[in-house]
Amino acid sequence: MNTMIKPGVVIRRNKRWLVLSLAPVAVFFLVLSGFPVLNLLGLSFFDVEWREGAAEFNYIGLENYHRLFLEETIYWAGVRNTLVFAVTVVTCQMVLGFSMALAVKRAGSVGRTILTGIFLLPIVIPPIVIGTMWRLVMGREFGLANTLLRWFGLNEVDWLGNPDIALASVMFVDIWHWTPFVFLLMLAGLESLDEEVLDAARLDVTGFWQEVRHIVLPLMLPTILITVIFRVILSFKVFDEVYLLTSGGPGTATEVVNFSIYRTFFRQDQVGYGSAMSVVTLFAIALTIILARGVLARRRNAEEAE
Amino acid sequence: MKRTAFSIATGLLALAVVMPAHAKDQPDITMAINQSPWLNSFVAMVDLYEEETGNVVNLDVNPFGGLLEKIRNSVRGSEGTYDLVNINSLWLSEIYSGGFLAPLGEVQEGYTLQDGVLSYGATTNWDAAVGSFSPDGALMGVPVNGNVQVLYYNQAIYDELGLSIPDTWDDLYANAKKIEEAKGIYGFVPRAARDSIVYNITPYIFSHDAAFFRVTGPGQAAIGLNTTEGLAALKTYLKISGEDVAPPNPGAIAQGELIQLLSTGKAAQAIAVIAAWGALENPNESRVVGQMSASLIPAGPGGTHASSAGHWVAGIPKNVSAERQRAALAFLDWFQSQALQVKYVEAGGVPVRGDLAETGLGANNSYRFLGAYSANAANAVMGLPFAAAAEASDAMALHFNRAVIGEESPEVALNAAAEVLAGILERNGFTVTRQPDL
Repeated sequence: MNTMIKPGVVIRRNKRWLVLSLAPVAVFFLVLSGFPVLNLLGLSFFDVEWREGAAEFNYIGLENYHRLFLEETIYWAGVRNTLVFAVTVVTCQMVLGFSMALAVKRAGSVGRTILTGIFLLPIVIPPIVIGTMWRLVMGREFGLANTLLRWFGLNEVDWLGNPDIALASVMFVDIWHWTPFVFLLMLAGLESLDEEVLDAARLDVTGFWQEVRHIVLPLMLPTILITVIFRVILSFKVFDEVYLLTSGGPGTATEVVNFSIYRTFFRQDQVGYGSAMSVVTLFAIALTIILARGVLARRRNAEEAE
Repeated sequence: MKRTAFSIATGLLALAVVMPAHAKDQPDITMAINQSPWLNSFVAMVDLYEEETGNVVNLDVNPFGGLLEKIRNSVRGSEGTYDLVNINSLWLSEIYSGGFLAPLGEVQEGYTLQDGVLSYGATTNWDAAVGSFSPDGALMGVPVNGNVQVLYYNQAIYDELGLSIPDTWDDLYANAKKIEEAKGIYGFVPRAARDSIVYNITPYIFSHDAAFFRVTGPGQAAIGLNTTEGLAALKTYLKISGEDVAPPNPGAIAQGELIQLLSTGKAAQAIAVIAAWGALENPNESRVVGQMSASLIPAGPGGTHASSAGHWVAGIPKNVSAERQRAALAFLDWFQSQALQVKYVEAGGVPVRGDLAETGLGANNSYRFLGAYSANAANAVMGLPFAAAAEASDAMALHFNRAVIGEESPEVALNAAAEVLAGILERNGFTVTRQPDL
């Protein structure tokens, strides 16, 4: 006997199925992501002390935030440096990564294999090795870079010890380290472009630069945006390079947000204050990404409307 | 028959070889310890203890950076993983004040350190009522590595230039200047990187009769930093870190760079931890083997000498069974004897007794650092004797480091460091007496 099922029932059943199938993932996400963030938020209103072997949670309201916004020095120096770091390294990495991807795309098969291998090398080296390697290169007295400078009769440079250039040195290492990541995504994006569309569009332009500017870049925009978001998020997480190369100094020249939080949580054991720092950082980054996405969405809608 | 007798005899002989000299009388214990250059010497002592007593000490070896978290996780649980925890001097106040350790006098009624064992400014004892180290407080642990700072100097260069061991900071600067002019190498290297500058500047501060702060009573503290004496101390530090005798940009020089400069012969004098001696005397790492000597850190204008305590103390957590606590104390007690400490030094360790220069070791040229070690250990101070030492150290370090790199004047740096220190003390329950700004 065939039973006819009304469309409304099907929709309800589909919705129920959707809810039931997504629920485990949602719960999983809440437990693994939501709960730690809420816990962090809760802890930021407490001062945690250990007495007689037991933790004492003293509710202090907004005191940690008051301290952070009105008394803190090192964290805000870290915020400033992290912003400079993120903008500079992401810009450089995008330009270099895109250029490298274009070069590889236009190379012959042998050249493409060789170039890809060379370009990808830095990304496969573990961060601890990168830190050690670049310390050996940038060390003032015994570093390879200064040995070469002396060899050419030039003055040596204190790459990591001079507060005016220490951050630039760390940024250089980060650009070297992460440009291959951008290159890889850009190359994947370029490879996925429709050759027929490109061939047709090439009839309307003259020369390589016009082709890149008016055809390739617009077509690559979604890939570029995703890559920028990835890299901005990752550059805000910078820690290992600073930890290994300069430990945040001299002064606050290379202090970054994550290093301040690490020091507060783990070295100083200030759980409440470290939580407040983490919450402010987390919400600032989330807000930045939401705003950026909003601006991009509005621009895209405006372009589509035209 | 002959074959059976031979087998039994061989078996008994093998058993005798593998059996310890004494029967095991304690349960196995586990110790959390750091992977530092002196670890092998400590492992040698553990092996000796196991051989002599039959008792077992398992070592859980961790990188320096990860040890504190492992200790925290263990001592804060309802049941601890470790029966012994090796605590760096900077962490002592946090672990003591948290109430995680069993006072040794409770593990064994009336237990005290053996005569001759150093307490490094009473850092083995904690007075909970005052909230600081005090010889009147409860005994909380036994030092296992006496890593204090000493003055290193290149004896070969001293002999060549006819220099004398400096008694004052001015003498040290004068020597540095002569070395720089005569040899074209750095006369002195400070360890002025932000992470380590508070530890490095401590002898300067205390030898000038200043202090970061002084505990004046239960819950009472007086800032002693932004004073005339404190200013003189910082100016001395900056003078001897100046480019006329020291490397440019000393604000980035950490311990690794300092030892590298000494061991390659690019620098002739430095104040550094006694544990660096091994690296300077290792022919695989050093070009100045046999040339370096150690001495008392120079005195301030009033004749006061001081050194920074950077030692390690082993404590017994409360959250392990009484039986294992006693086993842990048995090992620590065995470790302190003079005869054992001589073996510790011979194995490359930094001793925890002040009387080893009087033994046969003192006359041995290989251990010529012992006299300087004992003299500096007797003057060792803990600059920040309260629970939030790590926070205070980080906060003040920024201003000292800024003074070194020229971002703050000495007066501004001291006022700022004193103010952040006062704030941290107040948050930790102290009533603070401040100094007027310089």
